[in-house]
Amino acid sequence: MSIAIVAARQEIQSLRREKLAQALLVVFVAMVSLSSFIGWLTNKNVTSIYRRVKDQGLTTAANPFDNVPALYYLRNTVIYLVLVGALLAIVLGVASIIRDRKAHTVDLVLVRPVDARIYLLGKVAGVATWLAMILAFVSVISWSSIAFIIGKPLTGADTVRLILFFTMSLFFLMGFVLLGMICAIYSSRETSALLLPVAIWSVITFVLPQLGTADHPVSLLNPVPAIANHGGVFSTLNSIFNPFSITEQFKKVSSWILGNTDFVGNPSIGLIILALVLLVGSFALLATKRDRLRREMYE
Amino acid sequence: MANVAIRTVGLSKSYGENLALAPLDLTIQSGEIFGLLGHNGAGKTTTVNLLTTLLEPSAGVLEVAGYDGTTHGGNIRNSIGYLPENVQFYDNLSTMENLQFFGRLSGLAKPEARIKEVLSYLNFSSHDNERVGSFSKGMRQRVGIAQAILHKPQVLFLDEPTSGLDPIGVRELRDVIVSLNQDLGMTIFMNTHLLSEVSKTCTSIGVLRQGRLVYQDSLAATLQAFPSEESLEEIYLQIDTVKSK
Repeated sequence: MSIAIVAARQEIQSLRREKLAQALLVVFVAMVSLSSFIGWLTNKNVTSIYRRVKDQGLTTAANPFDNVPALYYLRNTVIYLVLVGALLAIVLGVASIIRDRKAHTVDLVLVRPVDARIYLLGKVAGVATWLAMILAFVSVISWSSIAFIIGKPLTGADTVRLILFFTMSLFFLMGFVLLGMICAIYSSRETSALLLPVAIWSVITFVLPQLGTADHPVSLLNPVPAIANHGGVFSTLNSIFNPFSITEQFKKVSSWILGNTDFVGNPSIGLIILALVLLVGSFALLATKRDRLRREMYE
Repeated sequence: MANVAIRTVGLSKSYGENLALAPLDLTIQSGEIFGLLGHNGAGKTTTVNLLTTLLEPSAGVLEVAGYDGTTHGGNIRNSIGYLPENVQFYDNLSTMENLQFFGRLSGLAKPEARIKEVLSYLNFSSHDNERVGSFSKGMRQRVGIAQAILHKPQVLFLDEPTSGLDPIGVRELRDVIVSLNQDLGMTIFMNTHLLSEVSKTCTSIGVLRQGRLVYQDSLAATLQAFPSEESLEEIYLQIDTVKSK
């Protein structure tokens, strides 16, 4: 069995029993389920009010929920992936390295005929498999709840879009897994190993978009990719910082995949940036030297 | 197997200005139990880390199990077992799961049968499905020895193996070390500062002082060379005192 597969299997086995990873998983799945419930409740309330208003002859307009695409209900899931999902990914990445460094089990690994880079790649594969299983579970919940809300199964095209969306989400989250792993490798303290990637995530998620979209703050919280460009300083700042705002790129690409009617622009830049993040993260991880993995880690 | 199990020529390690190990010339024959003695901070763990290829030397050459450390690090890693001081495992995994992981990393495709054999040899079979997190220091040392000998290494490195064990644990581990050497023919390199341990297990000794090897000979020759001394402790103190002047 190759070293990468052995490392991946061990990673999955450890994650299955790690309490923090389990707690975050429960929170994540609960939020996605809650998002479906909120979508169902909103639909029910709005439709009920609409019917009353229509019965009273106060409107002739169509029910606002009649023409929304089925995948409209995944809007909140995009946000939960950016907020809770990315944090979960960081924690998984950090835990993967800290587990070895704190317990010095890395010495027992490196004293064997193991290439440190292959071993790290195996760990990445293990976390990726774990995240893929979570996202597969979440996608089943999403598919079922949307089918329940709209009262019929999703079409084949929508199902493909949903699968594409969660596949792209996996790649997005793996960027944060790599960030967590790299920070954990280069930090000498457990606290900084976790705080540093969270600080970077905050900058990417909140600060960078704010710099370019301060005149349209709602876009920070909603998966509306279109940025209000009125020219001037915000437009300039946006063109500089937007590419680095990975979460905004993710929202933009998600919006395109989910068939959001508000979507404008070109998703290819977002896709390229997400791919670049993974590439750069992988190279940074593979540049890790054996000695670095053995460094002492303090509480 | 080569007749010389471990050989170093001018092997040294520095961290910037700090010399952790002065050029070390050491030869250990196959089948020996070698005890490396020294105070805390003398350079014993650095020596083991260099010989197990966990550290890269600043200068010099090393050869373990007939393989050159510079060009055949992978072959050395295939041929050795290692038990670090204060060995730790994945606490939320069982003995079997931990050993499966390390066995597979050592190239055992299906390590289960070998794990059962090793655990039985170490009288530890009844704990194979218990989580390591609940184990005492002595039990962890057993698992540590198990992971180190799973792949039948030629040379076994033990760093302070009895540190922190109770007297019964020390005696049991000592018996295991001797039987690994006598039954399985493993060469054993052991770091320790406990002289009682050395006198009961080792066939040859070396003394490190402030990163320098100040003495090396067989245990029998050492006892003969210092006939007036009552114990190995007295001999060690005499070597240490003479060499520090």
